[in-house]
Amino acid sequence: MSLDTHANPHHEHPDVVGSRNRLGVILILVADIAFALSVLFVFFYLKGQNVNDMWLPKATEDTPAIVPLSSMSSWNVTAIAAFGLIAHQFGLRGVRAANQTQLKLGGLVALIAAVVATVYQNMQIANAPFTFYSGAYASCYYLITILNMVHLILTVFIALGNWNRSRLGIYAHDHWHVDIVNVWWVWMTVSSLLGAFALSFA
Amino acid sequence: MTTFATKNEKKALIERLNVFTAFALGTIAAIVVWRLSLAFLPADSESAPLFTREDKITLLSMIAWFIGFMTGIGALIAPFRWVQGKDLTHEENMFYAGKDLGIKRYFRYTTDHKVVGIQYLVITMVIFGIGGILAMLIRTNLGTPEGGWIHPQAYNSIVGTHGIIMIVGTIIMVTGPFGNYIMPIMIGARDMAFPRLNALSFWLIVAAAIPLIWAQFIGGISTGWSAYNPLAGQAPLGMNGYIMFICIFAISTMVAGANITTTVVRMRARGMTWNRTPIFIYGVVASVALALPAFPVFFLSQVMSGMDRALGTSFYNTALGGSGWLYENLFWIMGHPEVYVILIPAVAALMEMAPVFTRRPLFSFNVAVMGIAGISGLSVLVWAHHMYMSGWAPLLSAPFMLTTELISIPTGMLFLVLVGTLWRGRLWMTVPTLSIFALLWNFMIGGITGIYLSDVPADAFLHGSMFVTAHFHYTLMGAGLTGAIAALIYWFPKMTGKMINKRLSWIAFWLTQIGFNVAFMGMFFVGLQGQPRRVEAYAEIFNKGNLITTIGAYTIMIGMLILLYAVIDSWRSGVNAPMNPWQAKTLEWTVANPVPLENFEVLPIVTSDAYGYGKAKS
Amino acid sequence: MSDLRSPEQDYFKGKWWKRKDVKQVIVLWIVFTAMIGYFSSKFQVIAMGNPASETMENVINLITLFTWASSPVAGFVAALAIQALSQRRHHGDNPPPEAEHSISDSPRATATWLVISALLCLFALIVGLIALQKDDQALLDRNAIHVNVTGQQWAWNYDYPGSTGVRSNVLHLPVDQPVVFHVTSKDVKHSFWVVQMGVKIDANPGYVTQTAVTPNKIGTFDIRCAELCGLLHAYMQNKVIVESKADYEKWLASQPDTGHTTWTPEGAIE
Repeated sequence: MSLDTHANPHHEHPDVVGSRNRLGVILILVADIAFALSVLFVFFYLKGQNVNDMWLPKATEDTPAIVPLSSMSSWNVTAIAAFGLIAHQFGLRGVRAANQTQLKLGGLVALIAAVVATVYQNMQIANAPFTFYSGAYASCYYLITILNMVHLILTVFIALGNWNRSRLGIYAHDHWHVDIVNVWWVWMTVSSLLGAFALSFA
Repeated sequence: MTTFATKNEKKALIERLNVFTAFALGTIAAIVVWRLSLAFLPADSESAPLFTREDKITLLSMIAWFIGFMTGIGALIAPFRWVQGKDLTHEENMFYAGKDLGIKRYFRYTTDHKVVGIQYLVITMVIFGIGGILAMLIRTNLGTPEGGWIHPQAYNSIVGTHGIIMIVGTIIMVTGPFGNYIMPIMIGARDMAFPRLNALSFWLIVAAAIPLIWAQFIGGISTGWSAYNPLAGQAPLGMNGYIMFICIFAISTMVAGANITTTVVRMRARGMTWNRTPIFIYGVVASVALALPAFPVFFLSQVMSGMDRALGTSFYNTALGGSGWLYENLFWIMGHPEVYVILIPAVAALMEMAPVFTRRPLFSFNVAVMGIAGISGLSVLVWAHHMYMSGWAPLLSAPFMLTTELISIPTGMLFLVLVGTLWRGRLWMTVPTLSIFALLWNFMIGGITGIYLSDVPADAFLHGSMFVTAHFHYTLMGAGLTGAIAALIYWFPKMTGKMINKRLSWIAFWLTQIGFNVAFMGMFFVGLQGQPRRVEAYAEIFNKGNLITTIGAYTIMIGMLILLYAVIDSWRSGVNAPMNPWQAKTLEWTVANPVPLENFEVLPIVTSDAYGYGKAKS
Repeated sequence: MSDLRSPEQDYFKGKWWKRKDVKQVIVLWIVFTAMIGYFSSKFQVIAMGNPASETMENVINLITLFTWASSPVAGFVAALAIQALSQRRHHGDNPPPEAEHSISDSPRATATWLVISALLCLFALIVGLIALQKDDQALLDRNAIHVNVTGQQWAWNYDYPGSTGVRSNVLHLPVDQPVVFHVTSKDVKHSFWVVQMGVKIDANPGYVTQTAVTPNKIGTFDIRCAELCGLLHAYMQNKVIVESKADYEKWLASQPDTGHTTWTPEGAIE
């Protein structure tokens, strides 16, 4: 391989670093998307198979029949997540227009939305009227809601960092971090939506 | 050790953490959580159909180990510093990269890709060592028909552990050591795109290894490496170790996949267009990029397996509406791409070496790229050929037979590239050169036997027999491991600064290859006779074939021990290697031995491909 | 200038099939193809032993056919490899001189290779589909008797529908009589493998799967579990006794009514 050399500054341009990080995050999201789609596959496969007629077990002497829950609460969580996404994008638009106040405000609202969604999701899991033993539907219900819970906890962590960093004025010069956090928000909302979608078909 | 001008508490913390604090914290966390959960977890309720308390305790302790270990190694510092808004300074990053740390950097969360490469190399060798010992136990037990001296439970656990540990070993054997050490230099980069993720992917494997070892003491993994449910649901507590191992390893693979792919896409030297990028890079990227969508599915299958055991859910428990076919689908959606995750980089490494040792250009670079891309694309569409006999969807047999047989076309392209490069070359007889021939031989046998298995009616006879075992050993070991060992010998001078002992590696090559073919020809024979897989005793008619296989296995062992000795001895006291001992033309041979911290003082600019050998037409 | 030809130009003089190395490859190719095809198919046929059903005969024929179809490919690769090895080899610590040429492509060779491998692939697919079709039709045979097979750790049980409660742990079958197996499992996954008849189907808990075969030899053959099913998987095997129709009827009549209610699987043809 024939070579030539050129002087290269050790400090790379933020745009270069930003696009690199963005690609890395998207690739990690590919893995998470594969995971979430597999969860959907599990839901619909078990529903379709209905092995031993135990997707929704019928009433026995000890236990009442299992009936599918309304997916409303899952759609609510998704709505709160979507609100957080919009807030984050509001902040992003702010920082693109060099408006730091708008960035901080958007970040804070997004953080609050993430916390609210997490609490709400937690309540949804805790209030489910069945146990882990209550057939395949109940298992899938827990799987989908717990996955969303993990996503939301991560979102709280990320939104906290994002807001804190904008509060400290770190994004005054370059803001590729905020763009990448936005990528995460979009996917998190979509994944929540996919979960709510599946649960609507119980 | 580097001292910082302003020594505050956080910086001191970075300096203090290493593998010892990691093990200490992980162990303490595991013990504390174990005692606490033992004391406070309620007993299983009367109405619960399953006993889950023991599994809960085991899984919680293992999760505590994992979190403790990762905290102790320092993996969590950077994320929390990010939240705090105190990003790592340049000095701290240089400390992380192992600047002036000497030997200590190998025992830390070091981000330098060369350190990670060496760490991967060592852990791969350890894994193969353990997996090899287990293989010898299996073969010794099968030397006589009664088996007998290993208890069936222990035997099943040995088979399962051998399987999974070798699968993991072969997954990381090329992309780990060489993908990390060589690849960034080969593309003219100073480091990986995400050096901290690189360290993370390595230490996750160490963290994953402990639950697997732990599992051996609490009942073992008596389900085979595929851990089919519902068998795994009734297996002893050791199964939880398998579950944790897979989950952590899947995260490691995912992190490494994103990291390596980004590095190659974004950080190639100026002028290194896609058709000037060495073929080995394609192999590595195809492998890790395939793992990205594949391993999360495996991860999920194990999460659900763990939930079934510890919480009593019913994903696989048929009595409560679960399905074993669900597990098989999820497992093989990962399981088949994974075979190519193993194979592609090993073949690509040999394609990289072929022009060097024949002193002529690589034959048909474009076909090589198409072959790799074709295999990667098709490999996600073939998983159900592992399930022809499960009865889950007889109507899908024909389409999966089609996709499986189609894969032989891109695989044939790789053969074309290799034999085309040998054609009219000037053969330089080294162990890597011989490995090309060995790969052609072994991979041809592995590939053709794969065609028998892809055919549904033939599979009705062959499925689940020793024939299958022999077939995938021919591909993963005969082709994959042969390529990986050739890669080790080829890049040994760059990675260690020493030449590997030629005579010993030559002897090791012949012993392992002859032993390998003897062993697995014998195994093909008993498979065709009708011996099922994973049995610890067998009928009289299988005596001869099994004895031959055992003799072959011992020959492999002797060869491997000689290779191990050659590696250790040459590493410690071998002849110093020149900068470019093979007179190769890729970028990694343009940097000095030992490779300096950031590889290149000034980044190279590439103006041609790396295969400009041979006398140009006049 | 004209008499100062390089060896490389000499090489490309004349027709390609008249070159020395090409001739070597062709000779080696023929020899290797014959050897590989002959020895591999011998190896396989000896190992697989005597078939006890037409299905198994088809499997053996199929494998032999695939072996002969792929031996030209294996023989070609082997011929090229041996030819390369027989050229000037270089030993030593320094590289040999560069090759005489710098050819990095050959569209003609590539195209030929691709077309041939695609044709072979198509051939394998068609052969496989035809055989698959035959196996599928066997399931629908109206004259077949039906046997329900239940796997459990670590034994097989056979129920004979049509008779009253006959349950056996040794499979008896009449010769030349199509039989359909309905297979399920009580606990974990097993795989029902009638070795010499070349049929196999998994026994899944919660599901019933089918396979069919017509035994055509009287004798005792092996049934083995082909899926790891726990502690004593290696010992989960027993025999199938294929006997004349009269012997079979006699055996069935002599069996006590175990009182075991014969289960009727979903999808069983009754």
